This record gives sequence, structure tokens and C-alpha cells, in this order.
Amino acid sequence: MLELKNIVKSFGNTKILDDISISIQKSEIVSILGASGSGKTTLLNLILGIYTPDSGSITFDGNDITNTAMQERGFNIVFQDYALFPNLNAYKNITYGLRNFTDRSTKEEVDSLIELLDLKEHLDKKIDMLSGGQKQRVALARTMVMKPKILLLDEPLSALDGVIKESIKEKIVTIAKDFKLTTIIVTHDPEEALTISDKVLIINKGKIEQFATPENIINEPASEFVEGFILQQLKIKKDNIYKLFKTGK
Amino acid sequence: MKNKQINTVFTVVLLFFAVFIVVPVFVMVKNALTAAGGFSFINFYNVFTQGKLASAFWNSTKVSFISAIITTILAFILAYTESFTNIPVGLKKTLRTLAVFPMLLPTITYGFAIIYSFGKSGLLTKLLGHQLFDFYGFKGLIFCYVIYTLPISFTLLRNTMQYIDKRYIIVCKVMGDNNLKCFFTAVFQPLLSTIAVSIIQSFFLSFTDFGIPASIGGRYVVVAELLYNTMLGSLPDFHQGAVIAIVMLLPSVISILLLNYLQKFNVRYNKISRTDFSKNYARDIIWTLLSVIIIICMLSIFVVVFVAPFVSEWQYNMSFTLKNVKSVFADPALMRVFRNSLVVSFLTAFFGTGFVYISALAAARSKIHPTGTKIIESMAQVSNTLPGMVLGIAFLLTFRKTPIHNTIIILVCCNMVHFFATPFLMMKGTLDKMNDSWETTALLLGDNWIKTVFRIITPNAISTLLEIFIYLFINGMVTVSAVVFLAGARTMVITTKIQELQHFAKFNEIFILSILILITNLIMKTIKGVFNKSK
Repeated sequence: MLELKNIVKSFGNTKILDDISISIQKSEIVSILGASGSGKTTLLNLILGIYTPDSGSITFDGNDITNTAMQERGFNIVFQDYALFPNLNAYKNITYGLRNFTDRSTKEEVDSLIELLDLKEHLDKKIDMLSGGQKQRVALARTMVMKPKILLLDEPLSALDGVIKESIKEKIVTIAKDFKLTTIIVTHDPEEALTISDKVLIINKGKIEQFATPENIINEPASEFVEGFILQQLKIKKDNIYKLFKTGK
Repeated sequence: MKNKQINTVFTVVLLFFAVFIVVPVFVMVKNALTAAGGFSFINFYNVFTQGKLASAFWNSTKVSFISAIITTILAFILAYTESFTNIPVGLKKTLRTLAVFPMLLPTITYGFAIIYSFGKSGLLTKLLGHQLFDFYGFKGLIFCYVIYTLPISFTLLRNTMQYIDKRYIIVCKVMGDNNLKCFFTAVFQPLLSTIAVSIIQSFFLSFTDFGIPASIGGRYVVVAELLYNTMLGSLPDFHQGAVIAIVMLLPSVISILLLNYLQKFNVRYNKISRTDFSKNYARDIIWTLLSVIIIICMLSIFVVVFVAPFVSEWQYNMSFTLKNVKSVFADPALMRVFRNSLVVSFLTAFFGTGFVYISALAAARSKIHPTGTKIIESMAQVSNTLPGMVLGIAFLLTFRKTPIHNTIIILVCCNMVHFFATPFLMMKGTLDKMNDSWETTALLLGDNWIKTVFRIITPNAISTLLEIFIYLFINGMVTVSAVVFLAGARTMVITTKIQELQHFAKFNEIFILSILILITNLIMKTIKGVFNKSK
């Protein structure tokens, strides 16, 4: 279980996060949903360990990790732009971590990850020969080889289009469930957040608006912001699609 | 761990700058301000009242400014032909290559080439039947400065032209403007700041160059020559030399400040724009003709370099011979000079590339020392501001009583400082463009910082590293302004040897050594070409 208590973070005179407290259960998929500038990426970086909070604490499985260095927390991240190493091919990217931790994953485990993510025929390719979806999957595999205790995904779908988006979404859910992995996803897209996660954390201007299951959010929006901004977007989308299918008939 | 490694890098870089920039400049200023054991302005007073400094300063300013204007106009014609006409790609490539050709030869060769081209018995004088102009002094200086600065000016203007949105021209024409109006709106105006940069840069280069006045200055005394004679002439005066060096620093400081100011007006286009231009044979032919004439004039003076050493007796017996080449290769003193040049250039390139790389790494890819980063960046500025001659004098004054005096080491260190700024900016540009999250990702995958640098950053920076290596190597081969004060009898390099050989009128040797420099530089360029093609 990951627990954040009264987290506050400012940069200069600007308060980015104000009194954030949440707890995330093991093998839950949680999305952090917010507009740009809401503080969602800062929150992700705090969990990852790039920053330390000004006040408040972070505990993981009962241990206080507030001041633990990033690389010692055992979490891992897939960045929005994947941060793949262009001088190495897909396979060498995937197994990069094994150069430092030779027995973190066995050959079989790596192979089955590659299988699961449909990467077999792309292993020898250079990174710039891969499509967006393939890059995302390579980055995901590279992270999974390290067997992270928590998987963090920064806008995993924003650079992808249409059909690929749906298939990557499916892969993420499969991985999280197969490996019983706590997964935290940052996104600005309500549809994405509500369709992929067990729970959604909606933040606005550094404060929590609501932290609940998708159903709860739809049925009982906790604030005007959730109602007017998040749900409204989904309704417009739904109506448009609904209209489309109706006239199509 | 990471911080410790980065701290080490910062320490090394800052220490190097302290020893090889801050201290030398301080010593130089101190030399200028002391006389008879105490603080005094007497040196300044003496230089300005007794010497020729005031007139030399005025001469330098005038001749550099006129050259800068001419260069920029000519470079504009070349760059425009290359960027805004429909001439074949091959022709454009040839134009690009030839326009920067003079960069491969030291400036000190230019003057001797002119003497042998335009002199009473010069090659071009013979071919044309009469002497075109009196090349010693003002006109010759301008001619050489223009040739010297044209490649740089061309490169500057061409780069900006590549990024100008060519669709402006289409928009402009669609809106009903005539050709001339379109030219001013869509081409000239976006280029204004680059044109200003070109003029300032050319001015600065001409003002501070030593090779050209050393070979051809003659009756027209410029600051560079005065400075050399004051420091190493028959009556060396280090205090007055320091004063003149500081005076020479003045226009460069102003130039750099102006360049920084102009940077703000530089429109940043992020991608090269390509458009087909409308068919217009008249335009293409006229611009090409103009460019061809400029290129021919520029290159014609170098022809003699490749002719004179290969004839039995210049002017009297023009039959082909290799005897001069053989005698140069048989002369152990000259061969040692060649070897020294190779060694100095290689070490400059090797250590210079390493130093630039770690400085840029510290500055661009670590955020732990914002102040340290600022210092490195301002040192790059300072090194860019210091003309080679000033740097050479500061080094001479600082290190002449240390063990590194008269060694290869001092030449290499001096070159590393002298040619730091451009490669640093190149490297920093490359590193800034790399993905921000690589280090974090690699750290999470178990790397430490050094491992990431070796496994990820370096392989992705390799072509820039090679480019820097070759840039430093070529500059190490052709530079003369700083090393002329530092090369001793045993550490003489080709360019300083040429400076010495001219007193004995050994032009065959001068030209053959120049050809050796050229061939070496061409080999380096070829290596780069082959490498880039294989990528």
C-alpha cells in the first residue's frame, strides 16, 4: 500500500500541491486526472522520488520513503516521450536494466513479456524505425523487466492515435492485473482515466477534487469542478457519438 | 554518487578556466598597470603619446570595417545564389565547398599568395600583362581580410537563409508585390540581424587577425602588427605590449556585446524550409555568374601556391620539378615543424574535444549547480571575446617562468581556450536536444551517471564529437595568432615557422608547408565525410 499524507510542494512562491492525502492499495490501477498546471506531474515526480515534498510523508508498505532516493524506492516509470535510447535496438533497450541487475528477470520472463507485448518481430529494429505504439510497448517492457513495485505511467496514451490507443490501454490493464502491479497513470483525458482505472484522483489547482471509483465519480460528482468540467466533457462526447449512431440508422 | 561525479567534473572544468583564463587575463592587466614596481597608468600614457597606437588603431578600425562591409555583400551574393535559385544541386554543393575553401589554409599564407600573384613578377600580373594594384598595405589587407572572412560570413548568412520560410515569397507575390518589394520583405528583412552579425563578426576577425598583416601589412601599420613588434620586436616591452593587448580587447568586447544584443532579434525558425522557386532562368544565370566571378577572384590568388613550388626557378625557368618538395622533406628542421603541428593539432583536438564534452555535459545535463553552469557559459563567452593574440600574450606573461613554457603543453592549452566557444555551443546544442528523461530512466534501470554518459549520452553525441574533433584539429593546424608568442625553438609549428621563413624569402618552403596543412585538413574533412555517410 502506498500512502501519501498531507503532501505540500511549492516551487518558489507558487504552491503546486496543497495538502494531498491518498492511499493506494496493492494492484490497484489509479489515474491522476487534471488539466495542465494542475500539479499532476509534480505529484507523479514526488511518488517516483525526483522531488521530495516540502512537508507531509510518503509511506510504502509501512516504510517511510519520503526521503528515500529515487533509485532505491524500487518504483519505475514510463515517460510520456518514452525516453528510449536511440543508439540501442529494441531488444537492448528492453534488457538494459539487466546489465546492472543480471538476475532481476530470467530469460524466460523477458521472452514472455516480449510475447505479451507483441514485440517479437521488432526486437532488432532501431528505435526510430518503430511506430508510436511499438515504442510505448518497448518502454513498457523495459520497465517491467525491472519488476517495479509500482509502475508509473506519464500520459501513456497522449502520443498515440485512435485504435492503437485502445490496444495499449488493454495491454496496460493486462499487465497490471497479470503481475498484480500497483499502477499509477497521469492523464489529462477524462475518458482515458475513467475507462482504464479502478480509482481516479481528480486534482485541480494542486488540491484534490475527488478520489473515487469511476462509477462513483459519474454518479456522485463531489464538486462543481468535477461536474462542470470532467463530466461535461464526457457528456458532450457521449451525445455526439450517440447522435452519430442514431442518424446512421 | 551522481552528485559526486558531477562535482568532480565541475571542479576540473572550473579549475582549468581559473588557471588558463582568469589568471592569465589578470596577469596581463597587472602588467599593463605596473611600472617601476608600483601601480601606474604610465604605460597607457606612454603608449598613447609616444607610440603609433592611435594611428594603428584607426588604421585597423578603418580597414576592418571596409573589409567587413565588402565581405558581407559578397557573402550575401553567394548565399543567395545557393539558397534562392533553381540551379542544380551539384552546382550548389560545389559553391558551398569552394566558398569555405580558404578556411583550410592559415591566413599567413594568404599574404604570400598575394605577393606571388600580384607582385611585379607575380603569376596573375604575368597572365594579365600588368600589375593590378599595389598590394602592400591598405588594398592588400582588404583583399586578404575579405578572403579570410568570406567563408564565415557565407556560412552565417546561408544558415539563416535555410531557415527563412520560403513561402513568404509566395505569399508576397500572391498579394501582388513586385519582385523587388518581395525581395525586401521576404528575404532582406528577416536577414537583417544576421547581416549585422556578419559585419560585426568579420570586423572582429579582421581586427584581431595576425597572419595577414604579418605577411603583407608593410607600410600600413595595424594594431596586430604593432602588438607583435612591441612584444617580440627588437626592443620587447611587455608592459606596453600588455597595454596594446588590452586596447585590442576593446573592440572585441564591444563586438561580443553587440552580438549578444543582436541575438535577441534573431528569429528562431525551428525547421529548414524547402520550396520550389518559380522558374526564372535570367535570375538563376545572373546570380550564378556573379557567384562564379567572386569564387574565381577568391581562389585565383591561391593558384600560385600550387604552381610556384613545382617549377625550377620561378619566373625564369618554369619547367616542372619536385626538387623543392624533396628538399623540404629532406630538411629535418622543417619535418620537425610539420610533426609538431600534427602533434599539437591532434592533442588540441583530443583533449579539446574531451574538455568541451565534459563542460557541456556539466552545463547542459545537470541541474545541480546553476551557478557553475553560468560560470562555464560565461567562460565560453570570455574565451570567445579574447582575440588569439591577446590570449597568447596573456599566456606568455603568465607562464614564461613556469616549466610549461616552451612546451607543447602550453600550445595545446592555449588552443583549447582559444577555440572553446564554438565547439562548446555545438555540443551544448546537441545535448540540449536529447531527451530530458534519459538519465532518470537509466538511473532507475540501475546505471550511475558515468555509466549513462558512456552507454547512452556519448553514443548519441558521436557525430558532434567527431565534428568538434575535426574543427579543433583544423584550427590547430591553421592558427597563428596566439601560438606565435608561445612556440619555442623546439616547439615551432608550421604557421609560426612560416612567419619566420618570410624573413628569408623562402617562399617555396612557405608554400609547400601550406600545402601540407591543406592536405592534412582535407584528409580530416574526408574522414568526417566518410563517417557521416556511413551513418
